[in-house]
Amino acid sequence: MTLPPFLRAATGPLRIMMQDRLAVIGLCVLGVIIAMALFAPLLSTHDPRHINEIEDGSVLQRGAEGWELRESLGPLALNDAAHHGGESIIVGRGGMGWAREGAGDWEALDLPTEADLHAVALTPEGRVLTVGEDGVILLREGGAWLPVEAPEEAHLRGVVWLDEASALMVGTGEEIWLFDADTGAFTEIDSPVGRGFPLQSVALDVGGTALIVGERGLAIRYDPDDGSATLERLGSSRDLNHIHISDGGAALVVGERGTLLRREDADGGWSADDAPDTRAMRAGWIGDDGQAIAAGRNGLIMEWDGTAWQIVPTQSERHLRALLVVGDEMLALGSDRFVSRLLPPSREHWFGTDHLGRDLFSQNVHGSQIALLVGFLGATLVVLIGTNVGLIAGYYRGRTETVLMRTVDVMYGIPFEPFALILVLLFQPSLTIVILAVSLLTWRTVARLIRSQVLSLRERPFVKAARVAGASDLRIMYLHIFPNVLPLVFLELAIIVGVSIIAEATLSFLGLGPPQAISWGGILHDARLSGAWRTAWWWNLPPGILIMTTVLSVFFISRSLEVVANPRLRARQ
Amino acid sequence: MSRRGYLFKRVLQAIFSLWIIATILFFLFRMGLPDPTAALVTEGLNAEQRAAIRAQFGLEEPLWRQYVLFLGNAVQGEFGTSFSYRAPVADIVWERLANTMILMLAAIVLAYVIGVPLGAWLSWRRGSRADTTGIFIGLMFRSAPMFWTGMIAILIFGVGLSIMPTSGMRTLPYDADGWWDKILTLDFLWHAALPVLIVALYYLGSPLLIMRNTMLEVYGEDFIEMARAKGLQERDILYKHAARNALLPVVTQLAVTIGLAAGGQVVVEVVFSWPGLGREILNAVRTSDFPLAQASFLIMAAFVITLNLLVDILYTTLDPRVTFQ
Repeated sequence: MTLPPFLRAATGPLRIMMQDRLAVIGLCVLGVIIAMALFAPLLSTHDPRHINEIEDGSVLQRGAEGWELRESLGPLALNDAAHHGGESIIVGRGGMGWAREGAGDWEALDLPTEADLHAVALTPEGRVLTVGEDGVILLREGGAWLPVEAPEEAHLRGVVWLDEASALMVGTGEEIWLFDADTGAFTEIDSPVGRGFPLQSVALDVGGTALIVGERGLAIRYDPDDGSATLERLGSSRDLNHIHISDGGAALVVGERGTLLRREDADGGWSADDAPDTRAMRAGWIGDDGQAIAAGRNGLIMEWDGTAWQIVPTQSERHLRALLVVGDEMLALGSDRFVSRLLPPSREHWFGTDHLGRDLFSQNVHGSQIALLVGFLGATLVVLIGTNVGLIAGYYRGRTETVLMRTVDVMYGIPFEPFALILVLLFQPSLTIVILAVSLLTWRTVARLIRSQVLSLRERPFVKAARVAGASDLRIMYLHIFPNVLPLVFLELAIIVGVSIIAEATLSFLGLGPPQAISWGGILHDARLSGAWRTAWWWNLPPGILIMTTVLSVFFISRSLEVVANPRLRARQ
Repeated sequence: MSRRGYLFKRVLQAIFSLWIIATILFFLFRMGLPDPTAALVTEGLNAEQRAAIRAQFGLEEPLWRQYVLFLGNAVQGEFGTSFSYRAPVADIVWERLANTMILMLAAIVLAYVIGVPLGAWLSWRRGSRADTTGIFIGLMFRSAPMFWTGMIAILIFGVGLSIMPTSGMRTLPYDADGWWDKILTLDFLWHAALPVLIVALYYLGSPLLIMRNTMLEVYGEDFIEMARAKGLQERDILYKHAARNALLPVVTQLAVTIGLAAGGQVVVEVVFSWPGLGREILNAVRTSDFPLAQASFLIMAAFVITLNLLVDILYTTLDPRVTFQ
């Protein structure tokens, strides 16, 4: 096949490039990066700005130094736990249940419900009641779990056995139900308030009565002897979330905004303790010897050291909802949806997550857009200015050249990075100012190079011939001389694309990049600012590797363009 | 043109450049920060004190008067008092500049001491696997942003192996009598090692590639054929005959690099908490400490121009072929 001469001329440089293996690799890699930028929304697995959260059946165990993360029990949050004798039972969201004998392994229970379970209670003889959303009540009798029909629609939050046969349940509509396990009958107890305040938790007190706590500091004592429910004052008007009473009568009530109410023994009064943190507390536990634990949101666990509550280090920020203490073993259970921050790479997050739980793979994919935009736009601007200045200076010579080249000299006196910094800082970061900062000084090199080429070209016979033929200056400059410096222009373009990409990354790394934009330098800026970069290698590595690969591929291409631009190099190889 | 005439002309040019840069800087700052003392409100200064400072910098005067005042002060080396340090700006800037220069010069020297012989060796092994690998590594460090390589180096040597200090110039606390006392210690060298290495690796690419390419050109020349014909060892031809003649473009590049060294590498200073001038400019403009930012930049530019000038003059003595034009 014969090609027209101008096409054949165009394929020449391309053939030379194709012979250079590094240039071919460079072209391929750059192609991949460009594709990445174009199809970023399709390629990214998550919204790069979305804060990712996960739910987890988290288990933390008290170790020597603090609370340590143990293997999770399933993907759903754990809400409550109870034990009696050797048996322990945990219930959670979505009808999840776990049981174990002694210190054995946890086994998943097959519960006949999908509803969220909020509370569980055991009798010494092994009867178990668990209650939850939508009036779900399950009774384990013998070995089987039987659904119990609730007397009416209710969201149940707490359950406690008063004796082997009867249990008390409380719900969010101020329901207080007495349940007879032998007959399956319910008795609805009238609350002394009766305004529909949610009740959250119930515990058996010494002397056989039950103490119920709920929102706005509500506390109700139920006495099974006369069936009466009376209001009790605990000394707080905050929402109370959980109550635990030890066998000996020590009691702990926890609630919102770090509320901690403690009673040292059955006869003592309630005292409101100072909490070292004011986050919501969701579960409390107190022993006969006065030892007490409170657990709450964001992995907050406090322990009573005899005189004050102390925050104990925990290995996770999960939201804790229940405490299970069996002998020496202490477990804290959770967790609702918590921000999945600083996760190492996994199948869900290929490059892990950052300190705000954002997906780093998606951020890296989106970062290519800004890098290439600034890289190519900046370089085009630079080459446009530099080539024209070089052409004009070299062609006209005389005073024009002096003025232009003195300007270039002055620019060589301005340090690039500090100047870009000052420009961006003085005029607020924006995409335009970043591109401007990147390109305002860089054209000095291009202008010098092009000028020196033009100086020799303008003395060539073909330029003289054109001049004799009456061609105008513009025509000679742009139609006769310019095509001859074109290879050099492309070479400079390639080099400056690389320089611009690094310059943009540098500005972004210093926190001066285009605001709101996701860029590779910006990811590293976040990493450094958060302080987590010293441990989270998955956060540091990918953006740097991407910058390096992109610039490297551009340099490889520029090397073979150099061969095109400078035929002497061709002879050498 | 005579040598003396050339020198005179170059010095005039340098002064002219500096004046233009000072002018650009002045108007840039007046455009970007119309009231530089606004930042002082947060410092707890009342309107009266601010007015005093405004008067000190002549901010109430018409623009042209401010400009003249600025130029006059700059010529006398009088840059006012830093807002954040409450100390004369000039003292701060000179110390920071020295810190930057020692880092940059050490790195540049290291890069050229390694790069030049390595480039010559690569050209000798041209086309081999070693050649390709060498080019690849040189370009790789040239392509990797320094703040990233710096962070990785800190991760490996500072955090992972914990054998290297990762920030500052000295182990704190220390007291030194003057700057030299601070520099001439093993502790300082230990602190400088990582940042110098990172900057050197970045600069390594250019002497390496320029040397390699010029050597390839030199190999084609007649005197190399001649040396071969005489039966000299390949090694001697490489280092004694070819390398010497290939040095000129490398020296040119070295001159340009040293000329711009005062500009420093802001990110390296930031990553390694190196108290250099670049980091100072960044902090100054972030805290709107405009006397410090303005003076830092101007002194930095003056230093770059002076270095360029010195290098140019030195160059004319090194290479007699350079004509005084």
